[in-house]
Amino acid sequence: MELTNQIILIASVALFVSVMTSVLTSRLGAPLLLVFLVMGMLLGEDGPGGIAFDDVQLSHLFGTLALAVILFDGGLATPYKNFRVGLKPALGLATIGVLITSVVTGLAAAWILDLPPFEGLLLGAIVGSTDAAAVFSVLRSQGLELKQRIGATLEIESGSNDPMAVFLTIALIEILLSDDQNPGLVMLTEFLRQMGLGACIGLAGGFALVWLTNRLAMSPGLYPLAAMAGGLSLFAATTAAGGSGFLAIYLAGLVIGNRPLQHRLEIKRFHDGIARLAQIAMFLMLGLLVTPSELLPVATQSLLFAGVLIFLARPLAVLVCLLPFRFPWREQVFIGWVGLRGAVPIILALFPLLAGLPHAQMYFNVVFFVVLVSLVIQGWTVAGLARRLKLEVPPTTHVVQRVELDIPGLQELELVGYRLTDNAPILVEKRPELHLPKRTRIVALLRDHHLLESLDPLDPLPGDYLYLMADPQDLTELDRLFVPPSESTHLTDLAFFGEFVLNGEARLCDLCAAYGVKVEHESPESTLDTLIRRHLSAHPVVGDRLQIGRLELVVREVEQDRVIKVGLKLPSAH
Amino acid sequence: MFSPDLISESRIGCGLEISSKKRLLETLAELLASDHPRLQTETVFERLLERERLGSTGLGHGIALPHARLKDVSDVLGAFVQTKTGVDYDATDGEPVDLAFALLVPEAANEEHLHLLAHLASLFSDPQIRAQLREADSPARLLSILSAG
Repeated sequence: MELTNQIILIASVALFVSVMTSVLTSRLGAPLLLVFLVMGMLLGEDGPGGIAFDDVQLSHLFGTLALAVILFDGGLATPYKNFRVGLKPALGLATIGVLITSVVTGLAAAWILDLPPFEGLLLGAIVGSTDAAAVFSVLRSQGLELKQRIGATLEIESGSNDPMAVFLTIALIEILLSDDQNPGLVMLTEFLRQMGLGACIGLAGGFALVWLTNRLAMSPGLYPLAAMAGGLSLFAATTAAGGSGFLAIYLAGLVIGNRPLQHRLEIKRFHDGIARLAQIAMFLMLGLLVTPSELLPVATQSLLFAGVLIFLARPLAVLVCLLPFRFPWREQVFIGWVGLRGAVPIILALFPLLAGLPHAQMYFNVVFFVVLVSLVIQGWTVAGLARRLKLEVPPTTHVVQRVELDIPGLQELELVGYRLTDNAPILVEKRPELHLPKRTRIVALLRDHHLLESLDPLDPLPGDYLYLMADPQDLTELDRLFVPPSESTHLTDLAFFGEFVLNGEARLCDLCAAYGVKVEHESPESTLDTLIRRHLSAHPVVGDRLQIGRLELVVREVEQDRVIKVGLKLPSAH
Repeated sequence: MFSPDLISESRIGCGLEISSKKRLLETLAELLASDHPRLQTETVFERLLERERLGSTGLGHGIALPHARLKDVSDVLGAFVQTKTGVDYDATDGEPVDLAFALLVPEAANEEHLHLLAHLASLFSDPQIRAQLREADSPARLLSILSAG
């Protein structure tokens, strides 16, 4: 009784304090996960908390569960449209990339820590996977939006590289435990079984879950639970069958999140919350599990190891894997730097402990240290680097409130709300009449907490709350009417996309004729669309730039790999 | 910033009733050709229209900046029109246009002319300027707002 109460008290207070601290630290730009990890360490045996927690089995159980839930949510939140630019590079990074990282860091580890090669490789495999959640929480807290190609690649990579790292770790442990087999063959068959089963069960299970959910009549609150229970069942079943449960649950989430589904929004929101909880709890627990004083003896080696990982292995893996995709160098530098390590390596470091390998405790401490270093160094610099490399794009929308409406059998509609400031364009412009996008209706205008009786004629004043029913695609246009131009001058439409908007279909020779620009080695008949795709990438994204003489072309709108609108940026006197 | 020859009161239309993009461009072409010895309204109109085919010169927020290179002009030449109601101009933000500045530059267009275009675009990106231009009720008033920019 007393113990139960105490555990609940400690856990809930720790959770509460961590969440509260995160409000403060997000202003400092510190990665949120670092906060929870440090919180856990402070509560642990060497900190003021003084809690001695070293139950590896329990940590492994909770950690694995939490990871499964996080991957499920990651799948749910990844839209198919990100696959256009991100899938192939991300898959390369998630497989070959992880392998390169693991081998390079593994060999370095064997040398630094004076271990046999296979044990070194095991360490390399443990730190092989990245954690994009850490990256995106930092970027979002600072209101940064990345170019789609980078965002999509990093997100899909981090969702799909955990299975690879898990596989490498397990396979290496098996090799270390039984030294009479042919390691190459073991690896290959194990790989095929893990990934094959994981992919099949995950995809099939995902479709089955969608089918089932759409045919059930339950109270709305139960749908998210059904989805989570279904996902976790798939995870467990796949693992029991000898496949990669992590791959299965990620793919299942991907399918569920992108198929038409009853109560989709509730399911997504629920998992967003539960994944956050899982992340916080997992990092607190891992922080609690480690004994910080044991980190010091391995500090020098760990720093070296982290250095090899951050400065050599990851950039090399990125360089090799992105070679076929012609990413601009700035984007390669960024992806190479943003190989943040999160909870997965720490959880994987529990595997050798559970398997009873000789140096397991030392592995755990080294890995923990590496994750700390990665979170501090890379996590803290991510936002600044994105700005410096000019990889931001103007935010797509500034809507204050958005409610997606779940209307059965209807196109997507949202209820959006704006608070009109006194410099809102609609108030400043003094247009004779208000022109709204076609599928948009004004629903309500609130003044001093009261709904106005009549919206016709519409006479908005500063401080009013305006609510509209709108298609999500029209939000940019609505922003132009109701949101004052952005403060950060380099991200206004004018500064970012340039003065004019050209059609992707426009011909290069006409552009040159209109502006007196001469271009050599180009067929004059080619359209801007083909020109951009030939010079930059077969999968252009918003924000890609191409210089033509003194003019700069900036991709502004893309539809299925075709450039629809191009911004034209003129040289300015200053 | 502007040379005094860029725009004059005689090339400014205030409170005009115009119903289409074509009419708006024609009106601007007429204004541009009217006090120039060698310019033909049709030629100017066609060149402006050619540029529109590359993509609308509507800058958004109801303002358009049609422009073209022309060998008949020896110096940059501008005209301005303010319409009573908005004209569908195929602009990026879909908003109808009620303010339009047309700019002709010589064939030997150089860096300076691109700078002038950029300067005009940045001038019209200021919501205060647009509001003032909408409130103006005479060509003289419009001219003074434009020349102050």
